[in-house]
Amino acid sequence: MAILNAATKEVQLKIVYYGPALCGKTTNLVQIHKRVQTAPGNKGRLVSLATNSDRTLFFDFLPIEAKTIKGFKTKFQLYTVPGQVIYNATRQLVLRGVDGVVFVADSQYSKMAENVESFQNLEENLRHVKLNLTEIPYVLQYNKRDLEGAAPVEYLEFLLNSREVQVPSFSATAHDCTGVFETLNAISRALLTKFINQGTPQYTS
Amino acid sequence: MITTLPPLNEADINEMDEALGEFLKQTDATTALIIDKGGFMITHKGDARRFDLTTIAALASGAYMANETIANLVHESKFNSVYQQGENYSMFVNCIDEYCLLVVIFASKLSVGAVKYFAAPTGEKIAEQLRLAQERDPDSGFDLSALNFADSESLFRKRV
Repeated sequence: MAILNAATKEVQLKIVYYGPALCGKTTNLVQIHKRVQTAPGNKGRLVSLATNSDRTLFFDFLPIEAKTIKGFKTKFQLYTVPGQVIYNATRQLVLRGVDGVVFVADSQYSKMAENVESFQNLEENLRHVKLNLTEIPYVLQYNKRDLEGAAPVEYLEFLLNSREVQVPSFSATAHDCTGVFETLNAISRALLTKFINQGTPQYTS
Repeated sequence: MITTLPPLNEADINEMDEALGEFLKQTDATTALIIDKGGFMITHKGDARRFDLTTIAALASGAYMANETIANLVHESKFNSVYQQGENYSMFVNCIDEYCLLVVIFASKLSVGAVKYFAAPTGEKIAEQLRLAQERDPDSGFDLSALNFADSESLFRKRV
């Protein structure tokens, strides 16, 4: 749930990166943390609650402040969920209070079933926290475009973005930061627009 | 509505800060925070330089929610607090209402009993203020449309 604090002139918003195991959710946050241009103090530490083998156990967390707009500080809290199937209860916890979602899909043909399953799981888990995808802004990121086994973007669009309202989608190679900031900016703008209008998500280019 | 917490104005924050300030005097605790269960910090009182409060808020809400889920799994219906005992500092997290938590960081030499005892009425005062904010006209006090976020340039830029 977004927090609007008129006393401190702050808007705080929560974005969750969702997707199947090993699709690159944590890599997105690592790249944002490494490469974002911010004023001193506007970027918090990247916290990873991970297993010994660096797989996300609970969540990754990165607080980050965008530029001040008309006197209001816009603070974003970026989270990832653990992608592995067994951590579903944890994913539900991380989704609590979510304002916007980035769904990270793995572009490899061999991962299509996992992408679809994870997307369905996102919808189920949002229902669990009394939300649904028609109410909250979300964008799609097709990651790992550099791999030889990557499916065409059109195929990913057909699988994941053929709903009544199509959302922005971005091709990405998160490990070299390609598409990472485009995705982050798109969800941030959609979220702020929604926050102002308090209505249907609107997407601006 | 995207929010479940009401927009908070200066009077709300002042009231909550006052409740936290009184709580710190009563208990001698180091820092007290009000956070929402999604992990945001709403306000805090006490020593903020020694700790990364933004991260503590995110982790404390996660820890509370995880423990609440575990409690439900073992058929425990009454769950409203988490206590972490440390060698230097301890932490107590207490439920305020459906959306918010009170997080208290205190020196481990202090009695957790006093912290627990005073946390209850402090939580009630804060919950009452949140109720008042909820009942008020949610748009009173400021005009969000003036922010016009949608016209802004890229919010985040990549360092080259």
